[in-house]
Amino acid sequence: MAIDQTRVDFDHGRFTRGLARGLAGALLFALPMFLTMEMWELGLYIDRSRLFLLLLVNIPLLVLLARRIGFENVSTWHEAVRDASIAYFLGVLASAFVLFAIGVLSLGQALPEATGEIAIQAVPASIGALLGRSELGGRGDDDEDANDPINDDTQSGYGGELFMMAVGALFLGLNVAPTEEMILVSFKMSPWHAIALIVSSIMLMHGFVYALSFSGGHELEEGTPVWHALVRFTLPGYAVAFGISCYCLWTFHRLDGVDLTQAIMSTVVLAFPCAIGAAAARLIL
Amino acid sequence: MAKLSKSRSIESAKGHWIEWLTGSVSAIGVLALIGWLGFEALMQSDGAPALSVKTISSTRQDGGYLIVFDVENAADRTAADVVVRGEITDGNTVVETVEITLDYVPMHSRARAGLIFYNDPEGRSRVFATGFSEP
Repeated sequence: MAIDQTRVDFDHGRFTRGLARGLAGALLFALPMFLTMEMWELGLYIDRSRLFLLLLVNIPLLVLLARRIGFENVSTWHEAVRDASIAYFLGVLASAFVLFAIGVLSLGQALPEATGEIAIQAVPASIGALLGRSELGGRGDDDEDANDPINDDTQSGYGGELFMMAVGALFLGLNVAPTEEMILVSFKMSPWHAIALIVSSIMLMHGFVYALSFSGGHELEEGTPVWHALVRFTLPGYAVAFGISCYCLWTFHRLDGVDLTQAIMSTVVLAFPCAIGAAAARLIL
Repeated sequence: MAKLSKSRSIESAKGHWIEWLTGSVSAIGVLALIGWLGFEALMQSDGAPALSVKTISSTRQDGGYLIVFDVENAADRTAADVVVRGEITDGNTVVETVEITLDYVPMHSRARAGLIFYNDPEGRSRVFATGFSEP
């Protein structure tokens, strides 16, 4: 915050608005998870080293995300770290607030339980807070975006594209990963179903970005074969979604003691929403 | 939440070699995934879940005796709501019965659980699965 104080024209109203937007974003994006029973239970029994790893992984994720889409004209790494810290804290705040408000947490509860539950919910909430600060920004901010070097498309390289897909995949994936339905569906499926799901995930991903004319969609240069974009963007995107899906399921203890084929099938099931999330991220973010 | 100002971006015709490398590796990965699942689909049999219970440890603790066990499913089908019963017998009479229901035992996988007996189960107990349903 030292950077803000050195500015002569520090706008308190604007800063407060940014915080409020962050909180709103945390609520908007993480509310489905706050209200998921499995998430409360996970907070109790999740292996503490996996939770610790998740909380650590979230830090570079938030910083990179802030660097790329940060709201307040983020132009240096310092400011990205600042924004990420604020978002992380807003996430903790939002999850503590909601969990107390809905009675999942009470003051008499043991500290390890309470911190576990708050910490695990803080991860999606902090991503929500960061997205909220940027994406919930008013339309009037669009002029600023034009002058903002970070939002310039020429700056978003191939790595950035894959990173945004990972964020999108994590975002939609985290919402459903803790639910029992993910493994239940995979138990009901045969491997044929899983193959069909992989193929349709990839086709949907490709269609979302290239075929449907959403704003923010991508187009191919004249004369480029369709499979070029498929190999260069969609398949790596699916690989990213698959990896994120695998990581989420492992973190939430859904792969423990499970046979390889069964684990792959559960991962394929979760990779479906992850793939949609990844494709949507290419359009929206 | 969409930032409508974002313009449609156009992919260049010739990608960087890193893009092609990543793309090829991903394509091989996806094909391997589909290949593996196809292989499994062809090899799998339609038999019912085959459940077996293996006792891992038996320890004395406050309020009883804890037996920790693994339920293994050797078949290609997942079993749900697996009921495991533990009995302590004295000759022909059953002295004590305890029961637990496991949510799932996936195919070729194991699930760990524990039963707590009041009497000492040493040498006179048996733990077995009594039933399951299909998920």
